[in-house]
Amino acid sequence: MSPSNNLTERPREPKPAPDRERRFSAQSIAELEEIVTHYPERKAACLPALWIAQREYGGYLTTSAIQEVADYLGLSYAEVEGVATFYTMYNLRPRGRHHLEVCTCLTCAVLGAYDIVHKLEHELGVGIGQTTADGEFTLSEAECLNFCGAATVVQVGDRYFTHITSENVMGLIDELRRSENYTPAKLADAIVKILIPGSGESGGGSSDKEALQGAPGPML
Amino acid sequence: MSDNRLTQTEQSLNLPSEKRVKIKINGIQVEVPSGENIIEAARRVGTEIPFFCYHARLSKGDAANCRMCLVEVSTTAPDGTVRKMPKPQAACTMPAAEGMVIETETPALVKDRKGVLELLLINHPLDCPVCDRGGECPLQNNTLFYGPPTSRYIEEKRHFPKAYPLSEFVVFDRERCIHCARCTRFTEDISGDAQLGFLKRGADMEVGTFAQTSFISKFSGNVIELCPVGALLSRTYRFKARPWDLLTQRSICSQCSNGCNIKLDYRVNQLQRVNARLNEAVNEEWTCDKGKFGHEYVSSPERLQTPMHKRDGEWVAVDWTEAYRILVGRLKTSGVSVAGIGGAKATNEDNFAFQKLFRQVLRSPNLDHRMGRYQGPTNSLMHNRFGYHTMGNAIADLENMQTLLVLGADLQDEQPMLFLRIRKAWRFKSATVVYANDHATSETTNVSDFAAANLIYKPGSEIALLHGLLNVLITENLLPENPALDLTALKRSLVEWTPERTEQETGIPASEITVAARLLQHSPTAIIVGKTVTEHASYPDIVAALGNLVTLTGNIGNLNVPGLEVNSQGAADMGVLPDVGPGYVPTAETGMSTHQILESAADRMLQTLWIVGADVVNDYCDPELARRAVENCPFVVVNDLFMTDTARLADLILPIASVAEKDGTYTNCERRVQRIYRAFDLAPDIKPDWLIFTEVAAQMGGEANYFSARDILRDIGEKVPHYAGITPKTLGESGVRWNYPATEPKPAAIVPVTYTAPVRETLSV
Amino acid sequence: MGIVNLLFKNRLVPNIEEIEVYEAHGGYVGLRRAAGMERQAVIDEIKASGLRGRGGAGFPTWIKWNGLPKNYDAPHYVICNADEGEPGTYKDRELMLKMAHTLVEGVILAGYATHSKKGYIYIRGEYVEVAWQVRKAIDQAYKKGYLGKNILGVEGFDFDCYIHLGAGSYECGEESALMSSLMGERGNPRLKFPHAPLPTVQGIWKAPTLVNNVESFCAATAVMTIGGEEYAKLGTEKSKGTKIMSVSGHVARPANYEIELGTPLLELLREAGGVTGGQLKAVIPGGSSVQIVPADRLDKINLDYESCGANGTLLGSGGFMVFNDRTDIVLLMKRTSEFYAHESCGKCTPCREGTRWLYKILDRITSGNGQPGDVELLLDVCSQIDGRSYCGLGDAACWPIVGAIKSFRPEFEYWIKNKRSPIGENALPPTPERVNPLLTLTAA
Repeated sequence: MSPSNNLTERPREPKPAPDRERRFSAQSIAELEEIVTHYPERKAACLPALWIAQREYGGYLTTSAIQEVADYLGLSYAEVEGVATFYTMYNLRPRGRHHLEVCTCLTCAVLGAYDIVHKLEHELGVGIGQTTADGEFTLSEAECLNFCGAATVVQVGDRYFTHITSENVMGLIDELRRSENYTPAKLADAIVKILIPGSGESGGGSSDKEALQGAPGPML
Repeated sequence: MSDNRLTQTEQSLNLPSEKRVKIKINGIQVEVPSGENIIEAARRVGTEIPFFCYHARLSKGDAANCRMCLVEVSTTAPDGTVRKMPKPQAACTMPAAEGMVIETETPALVKDRKGVLELLLINHPLDCPVCDRGGECPLQNNTLFYGPPTSRYIEEKRHFPKAYPLSEFVVFDRERCIHCARCTRFTEDISGDAQLGFLKRGADMEVGTFAQTSFISKFSGNVIELCPVGALLSRTYRFKARPWDLLTQRSICSQCSNGCNIKLDYRVNQLQRVNARLNEAVNEEWTCDKGKFGHEYVSSPERLQTPMHKRDGEWVAVDWTEAYRILVGRLKTSGVSVAGIGGAKATNEDNFAFQKLFRQVLRSPNLDHRMGRYQGPTNSLMHNRFGYHTMGNAIADLENMQTLLVLGADLQDEQPMLFLRIRKAWRFKSATVVYANDHATSETTNVSDFAAANLIYKPGSEIALLHGLLNVLITENLLPENPALDLTALKRSLVEWTPERTEQETGIPASEITVAARLLQHSPTAIIVGKTVTEHASYPDIVAALGNLVTLTGNIGNLNVPGLEVNSQGAADMGVLPDVGPGYVPTAETGMSTHQILESAADRMLQTLWIVGADVVNDYCDPELARRAVENCPFVVVNDLFMTDTARLADLILPIASVAEKDGTYTNCERRVQRIYRAFDLAPDIKPDWLIFTEVAAQMGGEANYFSARDILRDIGEKVPHYAGITPKTLGESGVRWNYPATEPKPAAIVPVTYTAPVRETLSV
Repeated sequence: MGIVNLLFKNRLVPNIEEIEVYEAHGGYVGLRRAAGMERQAVIDEIKASGLRGRGGAGFPTWIKWNGLPKNYDAPHYVICNADEGEPGTYKDRELMLKMAHTLVEGVILAGYATHSKKGYIYIRGEYVEVAWQVRKAIDQAYKKGYLGKNILGVEGFDFDCYIHLGAGSYECGEESALMSSLMGERGNPRLKFPHAPLPTVQGIWKAPTLVNNVESFCAATAVMTIGGEEYAKLGTEKSKGTKIMSVSGHVARPANYEIELGTPLLELLREAGGVTGGQLKAVIPGGSSVQIVPADRLDKINLDYESCGANGTLLGSGGFMVFNDRTDIVLLMKRTSEFYAHESCGKCTPCREGTRWLYKILDRITSGNGQPGDVELLLDVCSQIDGRSYCGLGDAACWPIVGAIKSFRPEFEYWIKNKRSPIGENALPPTPERVNPLLTLTAA
């Protein structure tokens, strides 16, 4: 995966304005226009529009993605970049096919989250914030994912994997290698769909059923 | 894009309130407007509250972030019990309310300020010795007065590359930034280009442009002055001087007709930088980049240093005696075949002496300062109908308008301060803006960004558009009652101008025309007209059509056609026009207009042409004619600072003083007479224009009783009725806006205007 | 006292997330009841219940509901704060996952009581599975006529409910920052009363706005279902009703437990199966922002707003974290401070600079470079942030550290003196080995 990143690198001189690109499909634009109607002003659709962009641009936001969002919503580029860089879930550089976000906040930390991180670093051969050479996994630490009762939690795409330990984490990795789901683009897609009224029956599917059934024993 | 922004009406920090409340600050009882913030309220009792991020002209939404202005606040309940708020409060956003008790100097607050400064400084590089801001830095000052003597921070500081060139004019040192959001708020609240924003968050947060591209703004220089630390610095001034080594002189920006008040900071007769000077009526405290960075020419080594005479095609430096000998000899033989062009960039005093020389000594009526297309009669165009020649409104009045129609103007370029006022009216005072022009613009900030209606019409179809707007106003019955007006003829002439017909002619969708017209029903409405219109062949007809609009909507005093050059207003006031003398008094004999002068020179009908501070070869609306004129005229004398293309073709060049080297007055577009002061010494062989005219007059045998610009101003005060009472003393710091003498109001009249579809444009001379 | 399943009454009912099942188990009864009442009567019912906001601050819910202008025709909004981010808390997650209808019902109730036409449920971006359930609940509610125009046949009772998803920011759980985020801006907090009007007067888009937590809306549903007086019978004199506590950490049965307010802390701990992996060392009763309580003081605390406050901690959001004696409080605080440094929005000086500084000091101490005076420095930096920051995040970043120093000062001093953990080699949480510790958590 190319390390090139047009938003976070730090040049010595200002760069020329990037080319404008248009990747929003007709369907995306329709979705965006639907979401815009939820609010009294277009600007409010900034976060949803960035999610759409993250989906359309393959799981991360490029400068063109930010321009496209700004142009659709009538905002300034700097403003949209400010929003995109504020929130941690907007990816400003390419991610692996699966983005492993290991919660290492308080409860998970005392229940072995760092062991999982070390195991993954060792097994995948990458450090925090890095992507494996095959582009399969990006490893991150996450702040509290708020499922402390099921510590340790690992978020992959749109799914929380619970009760992960350093022993069973490699099983998860094997499962993910085989899976087409839980990619950054699918996460963005799910979020966009959730925002559209009437989409309730279309999505969720097995993932959240599992989450319901698979919630930790003592919880039920 | 305006319809996307509901949040346009950010309230400014100090809402003027009728209601007064009694509050107590450090034991002193004081009455302040209800809702005034505590920093301003404390100033009334002479108490200073330190701050960084607060700025009265910026919206308060992002203020209160530096936490420097914390004060202790107690509130008084209706029953008289005083309750202290548990936490210290930011004074900059705290609205004064009845019975509030403020403490600003308690031991806890002293500690809080030390704490805030310590936190601000932990990541600050403390490289004050090599920082341009050192010596005039609020961070230094506040640390001196309120800060801790040492820091307990032993971890590593944030590091960023130094001196990142943010734009052509601004360098950015991220390490020094204290994240006060003044610059980001400026680009959003004031200039409107929204080029700067905060990126990332927490301790990693930084100010930046989109994707590290250049900071493109017409007003970028202001952020340098707004920055309370040395993070945003001027590229041109960087490492040039220490602030305490600079001498400062008050001045007026010479770049356009807005007349921004500026300060010239100079050292050893070299201009180092230009800063804005406060004038609430004109520029508040802003400058545009043209003004802030466009004055380097005054200290340019390219400046002409002596008079030059062209002998056999070669330039020869001559002394003034020789120059005058050549010039006077020439003038004496030319008789009345003499003409003068220019003056729009010279002071009132220069212009007065200029016209006096021509009218009284040379006996030639041929002088004109106009460079644009319209060179018709001076008084009949607007004055005879509206009672004024250019701007009906003062600049500051514009912000109190309900509706503003900007017609045919790239306002951010032509009239930057009018642009800022209009934007202020929109952003802070909920005004509605209608924008119409014959081309769209891609500038980072422009009126169309916030206009409620954007009408891009086909070039030349202004009158059709105005007819269409008026048609909607009449058919929808949106005009105020005015029984005195007979509208039958007008109605008949407008009946065909339905929105659909207007759409055919202008290319603007009929629905948009209807929407825009409806917006214009709200009074007061001011109209600002720009270059696209004034340079139009049928400009007089457009003015007539605009006249119908302002008359019918009851805004007869609100039409504004601001001039373009620093003193185009003053030159007209002083009578540098072929048909009127000083004070717009019609002259017995009408001379030639600029165009006629140039034509006659081009036809070798003119003996001597005197061009004063105008590069006609490049700047005249018909440059080709100007070149032929200068080439064909047997003797051309040019007053200029530089060897311009026009000067190069001339026969004699007289080097003149720049804005920084002479005293005098300029009259800006709203008729405000403002003083400029000599900042540094003239080179020995450079003279101000007025002195040249006076000395030539003397050598020609005329009266020469001027020994200073002040003498001329005194004479102007006596001879020009509008300038009566204007003396250096009455002008003071912020100048005086002259008014037309009160006369009988002119009867409102409607002038039906016929529209002719644009053909190939011809000069309307 | 003890476990009282009121909001969780139907927790174990299979398919309770389907509207038919929910209706069969008393769902939308509260809404039907409310729709038959005057709008003000609904607010009075909430008032009678004594319900206090469950998001952390414990502000009386009815005052907010009552604070919106009456018979106000211009747009005004109901917002549900479902940006659950407080470390240790996951009650809203389960509520939305299983009781999404209870939440939706509560939001519609609030819409009815305040005469609002639009409601937004702001769910944190990570909660995708949760948001799907809320989406389904809303869609089903529309189909059944609980949302839309003339709800339940009441003329003029129109209400639309939208989901807005965040994108990863703890700060957006702060009421005003949530509004910024919902308006499409960076999640910076906004000016608060008295610097600006209350949200109920001028909130989002300058319109009156009601913001409540998920659990508060669910509780409002419960109040309207069983009646305010009935609800008020639960709990203590000043803390009425039930509270869901998210129990986690070194405990045998970590889960959400709905308790009657006033339940002794140790009783909850017993319900959760007691401490595991060693002796009980300390409990954080209300999420990471509140002060940690050492084991020896736990018996004095009842889980209600007053008793927690009296004992120097807070009930907060109910993130009940249990730590055994392998836990090193200094390492725990270092991790806590890392969280706040990462989540600070950067708007104000004390929080932006201070939280990072606190983290750096604690990181230095726990990497064996502590210096005498560091504890005092920590306390003093905390005093420079606490109460001086723009919003509550700065305060929240300081309280746990101040609390930990108050209760476990010897551990800090041990670290500084001996450059190692007083717990020994296997102290929890372990110190991660990192190349550049400050950069790892920055958005990549």
